[in-house]
Amino acid sequence: MRLLARFVLATVCGLVLAGLVHLSAVLAVPYLAEKDAFSRLRGTLSADRSEIVATPGDHGTWLPYPDPDVALATCAYTLDEGPVRVSARTGPLFQSLSLHARAGGVFFAITDRAAVRGALDLVVMTRRQLDEALASEDPDEPSRDVRIVSPGREGLVVVRVLAAFASQREQAAEAAKSVSCTIDRE
Amino acid sequence: MYVDRLPDALKGALPAPRRTAAGQAVNAALIIYALCLAAGLGLSSAYWMTGGDYPFGAVRAGSWTVWPKAGSRDADPYTRAVNARTGGIPLGIGEGLVLRAAADDAGRALDARCTYRIGTTAPQARYWSLTLYDGAGRPVDTALKRSSFSSAEVLRGQDGGFTVALSREAESGNWLMMPESGEVSLVLRLYDTPAASAAAALDPRSLPSIVRGECGP
Repeated sequence: MRLLARFVLATVCGLVLAGLVHLSAVLAVPYLAEKDAFSRLRGTLSADRSEIVATPGDHGTWLPYPDPDVALATCAYTLDEGPVRVSARTGPLFQSLSLHARAGGVFFAITDRAAVRGALDLVVMTRRQLDEALASEDPDEPSRDVRIVSPGREGLVVVRVLAAFASQREQAAEAAKSVSCTIDRE
Repeated sequence: MYVDRLPDALKGALPAPRRTAAGQAVNAALIIYALCLAAGLGLSSAYWMTGGDYPFGAVRAGSWTVWPKAGSRDADPYTRAVNARTGGIPLGIGEGLVLRAAADDAGRALDARCTYRIGTTAPQARYWSLTLYDGAGRPVDTALKRSSFSSAEVLRGQDGGFTVALSREAESGNWLMMPESGEVSLVLRLYDTPAASAAAALDPRSLPSIVRGECGP
């Protein structure tokens, strides 16, 4: 009987610990994963232009559940060397831009409706870089940049361009990979 | 042992007898058992829950399922873990909304051997696309070389409604060819839609219905 009680106690302890292990594993997965989008695209960190991940009509992408009507291109960024300036030209096709923190999900998304004179310009920065930019700014000539604070130092800029007709696929892919992501040194 | 010669009343006041070697072995075995249970159960449950669909936050509207928070800052840790493991890049709330269906209106799993009719309305959006996927999450690869319809290219009736037919055999109008066998699923993506901010309260009547026709052998 005494042995049974100890066995039950050990089981209860094991279950409580299992809960903790479960929670820590789920929280750790985004940081340990090797097949997440950021890790797969880490090689493109130094590129100045977005690189295509999925072309419309092509089924050979690693993206799960890709939309075959959409050209998807990404820029991987790291804010270690300064804020990142993202510039996209909008065209006749539906286009959307979203910012994904590594291990953090989407933190900003807009469509081409927000474009000013056919251009979408964003500056992605850390909270500290924003404070520095605000401090060094001339109060009479405030910057017109749209500044977005990234919750992490690493992430992805994701561009989606919709090819509503098969004939627009090439145009959509061209538009998706023409987004520039450069380090803003000022 | 001198303890045995003491009166019973005094025995309780003495410190507990030292553990025997056998007792210590049992304790060690129980500790190892508890640790193995924790590691095995904790890791396998985490693995299992982050391998497929997002486990939490699903909202059902008719036969469609939507995860309203998957594309927002409020995405739960399970959603993030699923994306990390699959490499998925979610659609942001500001971009649009993703709806999935793996069963027809009667709740039967979508089967490649059956025919289906999907229509006739879709929620208001600048564009939408309706895509047919195979069991592995890839757009279907059939002789038709088409796995989706966009709102711009779909043929509409006089009332503005549309019907997309899914079947093995060719049909007139909007037709997507079914793969040879296996389970399939449908994804409706609404790009730039006011429904994205109110996804938890989608009206099932505004969504396309999925009606099963005949099923082959």
